[in-house]
Amino acid sequence: MEHGSFTDNSAATFSLTDEDHTIANAVRFTLNQDPRVTFCGYSIPHPSEAQVNIRVQTTGDPAREVLKDACQNLMLMYRHVRCTFDKAVEHFKASNAVKALKIDSQDSSGDDSEESE
Amino acid sequence: MEGASYQRFPRVKIRELKDEYAKFELHDTDASMANALRRVMIAEVPTIAIDLVEIEVNSSVLNDEFIAHRLGLIPLTSQRAMSMRFSRDCDACDGDGQCEFCSVEFHLRAKCISDQTLDVTSKDLYSSDHTVVPVDFTDSAGYESSEQRGIIIVKLRRGQELRLRAIARKGIGKDHAKWSPAATVTFMYEPEIHINEDMMDTLTLEEKQSFVDSSPTRVFDIDPNTQQVVVVDPEAYTYDDEVLKKAEAMGKPGLVEIYAKEDSFIFTIESTGAVKAFQLVLNAIEILKQKLDAVRLSEDTVEADDQFGELGAHMRGG
Repeated sequence: MEHGSFTDNSAATFSLTDEDHTIANAVRFTLNQDPRVTFCGYSIPHPSEAQVNIRVQTTGDPAREVLKDACQNLMLMYRHVRCTFDKAVEHFKASNAVKALKIDSQDSSGDDSEESE
Repeated sequence: MEGASYQRFPRVKIRELKDEYAKFELHDTDASMANALRRVMIAEVPTIAIDLVEIEVNSSVLNDEFIAHRLGLIPLTSQRAMSMRFSRDCDACDGDGQCEFCSVEFHLRAKCISDQTLDVTSKDLYSSDHTVVPVDFTDSAGYESSEQRGIIIVKLRRGQELRLRAIARKGIGKDHAKWSPAATVTFMYEPEIHINEDMMDTLTLEEKQSFVDSSPTRVFDIDPNTQQVVVVDPEAYTYDDEVLKKAEAMGKPGLVEIYAKEDSFIFTIESTGAVKAFQLVLNAIEILKQKLDAVRLSEDTVEADDQFGELGAHMRGG
C-alpha cells in the first residue's frame, strides 16, 4: 500500500503487511545504494502487528519505481549469492574428494595439499 | 534505469561442509543482507512436522498432550517441503487439510509385553511417505550401533500401550519452533588483528606470556622459535576487549589493534537434520526471492491524501 500524493510522486511511504525487519532492513540498505534516493528509512508501528512502513524520497523519479528497482537489485544480489554458493559447494566437494584420494595414495609423504581458492 | 546503483556483488568461500553443519564466509555485502539471510533460515524456511495427533490408546505415564507435543518436535526429513502446499492453501482436499498432497500420515503402535522397560522412539513412527521420515541420527561410522535408537518419545512398563495416528504438515518457524530447520545459525564479523611489533619488542617474555594468557580464547600464542607473539586463530576472538584492557593495564595502549571488517561475515550453520545445511541456505535465498517478488509485484492501492487513513493518523502521532 502506497501513501503518497497525486501531484508529487517522488516521495511516498509504502506500508507492507506481514513483513518485518527481515526484508525491510535489506531493502532499506539497497535503496541507500541507489544514487536517486535522497532519503529512505523504515519503521515498525507496533511490534505486535506485522506491518512495516518504508519511506522513500527521491531526486525526481517516482518513488514506486525506485522501490521496485531496489527489490530487483536485491533479488539479483541474492541470485548471485546462490550461484556463488553453488559453485563454492561443488569446488569444496571436488577438492575434498581429491584430498581423500591423495591421502589414500600417499602413505608417508608429508606433502600438504594447498587450499586453492 | 539511469544511474546504476553502487551495489556490489558478494563472494562466498566455504570453510567446512558436512551434512548438518556448514561454515562459510560471505564477503562484500552488508550486515542487513547477512541478517536477512539468518532470519529467514531460522524462521521462514518451510519444513514438515507433526501437527495433528489422534490418540487411540495411551496408558503410559505421560498424558496425551504431552506426547503430542513431543511428537511435534521430532525433526522429519523435509526435502519435499519446498514443493509442498500449505494445508490451508490446498484445494485437493475437502478443507480439512489431510489429503496426500498437503500432509503426511504417521502411525505408531507400541505395547510393552516384557518385564523390561520399552523405549518408544522416533524409529517406531511409520510414515505413509518414505521421503518424509524421522531424521536418523545414527553416525555413519557405525560404532556401537545399538546405542543410536532414535529420539525417545516415552518409556512403557509391562502392560502399557501407546497407539496413535499423526498427521504432519508443512509450516514455518514463525508459526511454531518445531518447524524451524535450523539448530543454530550465527554470523560474526571477520576480525582483523594488527600487532604493533615495535611495541611488542619492548616487552619481556613473561609480559608477552601474560598478554597471551589474558585472552579468554586462544587468539595469540608465542612462537617457540622466534619468541614473538603471533596471531594463531583470529576467528577465536569473540570481540571481548580483554586483550585491549590488558595492554592498557600494562601501560602499552595500542599494542594490538583489532578491527571488525564491516563487510566480511563468517556464517556457522547447524541444521536439525530436516534439511541439509547447504540446502538450507539455498532454500533461504529462494524464500527471500519470493518475499521480494511479493513486494515488487503487489498492486499498490495509492492512498493519496495524507489527511485520512491510519497511516496519516500514525504519522501525526494520533
